[in-house]
Formats: sequence, C-alpha cells, structure tokens
Amino acid sequence: MKPPGPRHGLSLKRLLLLWLLLPQLLLWLVGGALTYRIALSYAEKGVDQSLTQSVLSLARQVKPVGSGLLIDFPRAAQDIIEQDPKDRVSYMVSSPPGSFLLGNGKLPSPVLNTPPTTGEPLLYNVSMDGKPMRVALLEVNYGEPNSPQRMRVQVAKSLAVQQRIAAGLVTDILTPLLVLGLLLSVLVYGGISRGLRPLKRLQAQLGDRREPSLSALAPIEMTEAPQEVHALAGAVNQLLSAVRRSLGQEKRFLNDAAHQLRTPLAGLISQTELALTETDPQALRERLGKVLSGAQRSAHLVHQLLSLARNEAEVKLQTLDAAALAREVAREWTPRALAAGIDLGYEGDDSLLIEGEKLLLHEALSNLLDNALLYAGPGSVVTLRVRCQDNHAVIEVEDNGPGLSPADLLHVFERFWRASSLPGGCGLGLAIVNEIAHRHGGQATALSVQPQGLLIRLSLPLHNETP
Amino acid sequence: MTSLLIVEDDELLRDGLCAQLAQAGHSVTSAADGALAQALLESTRFDGVILDLGLPKVSGIEVLHWIRRRLPALPVLILTARDGVEDRVQGLNAGADDYLTKPFNMAELQARLGAMLRRARLPAFGGSLELSASAHQRLRVDATQPQAWLDDVPMELTHREWALLSLLVSHAGQVVSREDVLGVWQSEPGDGAGSNALEVYVHRLRRKLLDSGLNIRNVRGLGYLLESAAT
Repeated sequence: MKPPGPRHGLSLKRLLLLWLLLPQLLLWLVGGALTYRIALSYAEKGVDQSLTQSVLSLARQVKPVGSGLLIDFPRAAQDIIEQDPKDRVSYMVSSPPGSFLLGNGKLPSPVLNTPPTTGEPLLYNVSMDGKPMRVALLEVNYGEPNSPQRMRVQVAKSLAVQQRIAAGLVTDILTPLLVLGLLLSVLVYGGISRGLRPLKRLQAQLGDRREPSLSALAPIEMTEAPQEVHALAGAVNQLLSAVRRSLGQEKRFLNDAAHQLRTPLAGLISQTELALTETDPQALRERLGKVLSGAQRSAHLVHQLLSLARNEAEVKLQTLDAAALAREVAREWTPRALAAGIDLGYEGDDSLLIEGEKLLLHEALSNLLDNALLYAGPGSVVTLRVRCQDNHAVIEVEDNGPGLSPADLLHVFERFWRASSLPGGCGLGLAIVNEIAHRHGGQATALSVQPQGLLIRLSLPLHNETP
Repeated sequence: MTSLLIVEDDELLRDGLCAQLAQAGHSVTSAADGALAQALLESTRFDGVILDLGLPKVSGIEVLHWIRRRLPALPVLILTARDGVEDRVQGLNAGADDYLTKPFNMAELQARLGAMLRRARLPAFGGSLELSASAHQRLRVDATQPQAWLDDVPMELTHREWALLSLLVSHAGQVVSREDVLGVWQSEPGDGAGSNALEVYVHRLRRKLLDSGLNIRNVRGLGYLLESAAT
C-alpha cells in the first residue's frame, strides 16, 4: 500500500517505550546485583565476628602446662561452637602449626608468605569439598623460654547459609520491585498512548480530506490539544490557507483569462460575419483589417497565457551571460524596431554572468522590448542595458515615450492591468516579466524617466563565482 | 522561381500559406499529411520545405528524419505549435534548418525562408549569394572568391570588405554583430582589425554601395544590418 519511499524511523510510541522501559530494566538488574553483594558482605561480617570469638575462646581452652598442653574442652564448649547442626563448624588445633592435635576435621592452612602474627586472628576463605568456607586462624606461643613452641587454632564455618540468606534477601527485595515495574510499564504504555492521541486525531483530520475541491479545506480544529500539536496544527493550517489563497488567485486569473480570450473571439466572429455581408470593397478591407488585428490580439494573448502557465513549472537555473543574451534578443527585435521607426540599441557590459533560465529570460526581455516598441511610439529611442550594480545584475529597458503616471506605475506588474487601450497589449507582458524576475530570486521595478519615458528594471542575482 | 512544398494539416493555415507564398513569387505545392509529403518528395524536386511537426499519420519529426536520410541538402523550415524548449531542440536536432512557432507573422516567415534558401543555394548557384538591391538592381556576391557584382558590374573590394559584405548579404535584414564580423575575418587581437578598423571598413563599404538601394545600418551597441530598398 505504502509507496517505497524513504525508510520510516521507529514509531514515536515504540521510541518512547524503549527509552522509558529499558533504563528501568537496567536499574532493576543492577539493583539486584548490588543487593546480593551488600547482603552477602553483611552476612560475612557476622560470620567473621562469631568465628573470631570462637577461635579466641577455643585458644583459651588450650592451656600450656610446662612444655605440654592442657586441653580443657568440655562438651558445653563444643556445643557452643557447634551451635547449628546444619551449619557445621569445623575446628582444628595443631602444634606445631599443621600437625593435628585435636578437632573434628582437617582444615587447610592459608597460603601465606610470612607466618601470621601471634595473638591476632586471621580470616580467610577456603573451599572444602566444593563448599565455600570461612576460616579464622589464631596462633599462640607457649612453652619454656629455652624451647618455644607454637600452637595454631583454626575454626571454620560454611558460607552456604549466608549465601542462601543473601539470595533470599535479593528475591524478597526484587519481587515487589518487579511487580511495581510491570505496573509502571502498563502505566507508561497507557500514558504514551494517551499522550499521542492528539497526533492520531490530527492525522485523522488531515487524512479525511477527500473533498473534490482543495479550496474547500477547512482549518483543523485542535482546541484542547497540547502545545506541541497546537504548533503543528497551526503550521498545517497556515499551509492550507496559503494553498487556498493561491487557488483563489488561480481561479480569479482563470476567470480573467476566460474573459480576455472570449472577447476578441467574439469580436472576430462579428467582424467576419459583417465582412461576409459587405458589398463595398473599401468597407470589406476595413472589416478584414479589424479581423486581422483581432486575430493577432488573440494569438498574442494565447502566447502570453501559455508562457505564464509555463512559468509555474520548476525553473532550472544555469550560468549564462546576461549581456550576450540581451544583445541576442535586441538583435531579434531590431527589424521590428526599424519597421516601427524606433531607434533600438544596447548599452552596458560586454559580458555579465548570472544564474538564470535562458528561455524564461529571453521571454522577459522580449516582453520588455515588445512593450517599449508598442507604447513608446515612432521616432522614440529604446535602450536595453545590462550592468553590474550593488552585487546584482541589472537589466533595464528604457524608452523616451510618453511614460506612465506615478499612480499607474504601481499597477504595471498586475495581471490584466492595462494603462492604455492601444491595440496589441493584453495586460500580461509585465506581469510575466515580474513573475520571471521572482522565479530568478530577483525583482522588477518600474520607474519614470525625466523628462519623459518609462524604465523597467530587472535586478537579478549574479553568478556566484566559485574558484 | 523557387519551388516549395508546404506540409500542414490545418486547411485554413495551409490555404493561407500557399496563397501568400505564391503571391511572393514562389511555386507552391501542398500536402495535408506526412505520407502524401513523402510521395511528393519522391517524385518532385523542391528547393525548400515548410513542415508542420504536428501531422496526422506520419508525424512531422518522422518526415524530417526521412528527408534527412534521402535528401540531406534540402532546406527544411519547421512549424510548431508547441514552444517548449524540448520541441525546438528535437526539431533542430532532427535536422531542421530553422523553426517558427505558431502563430507567426507572415513577414517573419518570408524573411526566414529567404535567408534559409539563400544559404542553401550557395553551392547550387556556383557558390554565390544573390540579393535584390532595389527594384532594378541585383547584388551578387561570390561565396568563395573575393568578388561581387552589382548588376553584373564587378565591385572593387578588398578581402575584408568582401567577407563583411558576404556576411551582411547572407543575413540581410538581420543584425550582424561585431563579434560575427571579427569571427569571419579570423582576426587575431592586436592585428589592427578591432572595432575601430571595423568602423572604417563599414564606412568604405557603405560608400561603395551608395546609390545601389542597399544601406548598412549601424545598430546602436548591437552591430550592423543590411537594408535593401527592395524588401
């Protein structure tokens, strides 16, 4: 259904969902990991404390007597150490360190570079039968000064319980968070859908415009929409009103054109009918002369209307020499100027590069010269000039004919406006010139010349010289 | 007398063209469609063709291509009611010598036709250009040698004067720019053939054409135009 146009981006809804929910998921995962680590570290602290106490009290139970050891380890003390039957505590007393004296299991020595300081408990992790264990170690000196001996006491406790507790804590914290997160997701989804609803409504309002006439387009109603959509709707409304205005102009133009085209045709028909009934040869000639001028007027008008219509199309600008083009057009018009008894000439630069469309500029210059030759009258001087002024290419046609009043000068570029009833004009020539100037990003102005005459000036952008 | 073939499907225009060109002294044959035109061109020799591009059955462009294959030297002036640039370019690329957009001025058609025929006739008439100077006098300019005759009386011309005169005669009634003249002179900058020299040559040539009915008009800022009392 959709044309294979430019690739569409992610929908606004998906984009919002992605950016709102993805960080939430990330937060949840990081939170879980952190909780586990913190819970574990607190549990280890507790274990360390109890292991330290156990190892100190166990060391106190082993009393040196002379060069031997008296081990006073009653059942009650054993029970204290092995308080949790599931969480078995292992202990070992060895002297010299490593050679088993007593205990309920063999505990590995820590990997140490220097022997541990006596009297200070040392804590380390080992793995026994694949189970993580925490071990507290204390070494004490005893015996006679001449034969010092060293005793090591180790107490170990499994960390499995602590890990279980930490995992449980993580589950307890994360489960309600997950439920909350899901609830939040639902809320976010609903909120986004609701927030985007004005856009959907705008689309529906715009898409529904299948009226046959574009000019019947009503502005979009968006009273309770959020600000951003308001701005969008405003822009669309502006566009619509511009379209309406331009269509209105076209319609008026078409009405004017219809009138302008039909009137000379009606005249032609009536003159021809009269000529057919005319018997006097002189009167017949006069009628035919009127038929000819009517036909010429229609031909001129059709040409102008078509060139105006062609102007509406896209203009492709190219670098061209405005001075050479102006001279070329002037040369084309010279025979007609001579026939009309008008001195047509060129003044100005030999060459001036501009950005323009040759055919359109040719048309504009032809219209200017046509106008000048038509209205300046026999014996007058018409001069075409091309020069560079204020970083613009100035093309002007000046005549020393009767000129126009200041009030008339304001109207010369209007379509179908005519200052004189001289035959040959149709009121479109200068409108076309103006249109062409605008298409080139320039402008056309009409000025009075002292003591008399008319000057039409086109100001067009120069060719940008790029090295 | 030149023989022309007019190919135009609109009866009103065909009729008008035939009558006006016959009045101007041409021998005129007409065809209403491309197929008939091709048949006529195969059986008869013409000096020039006026061809409408919007023809029924065989289009004008097809006829033009056909002419260029069979009769490459035949001058063809095309008429078109379309004035988009593509149509003109298409016609000229297909081998037309000139074009006119409808509706056109009869005087303009005659002028274009005359210029086209003069250019085409160069080799056929021993390489010379002919122009009616006045009602009684004729100017003939040799296209290859620096020679010209006014009513069969040889004119005394320098090489440059002759080149200038041939250019003006081949474009009689049209403005010839200074650049055009300097171009046919093949002058190099600094060899004394600049604008001032051109003025001198024009002045001398003007004197030699005095009382011939021909005048070289100076067109302000644009160039020169050969006017003839006969046209």
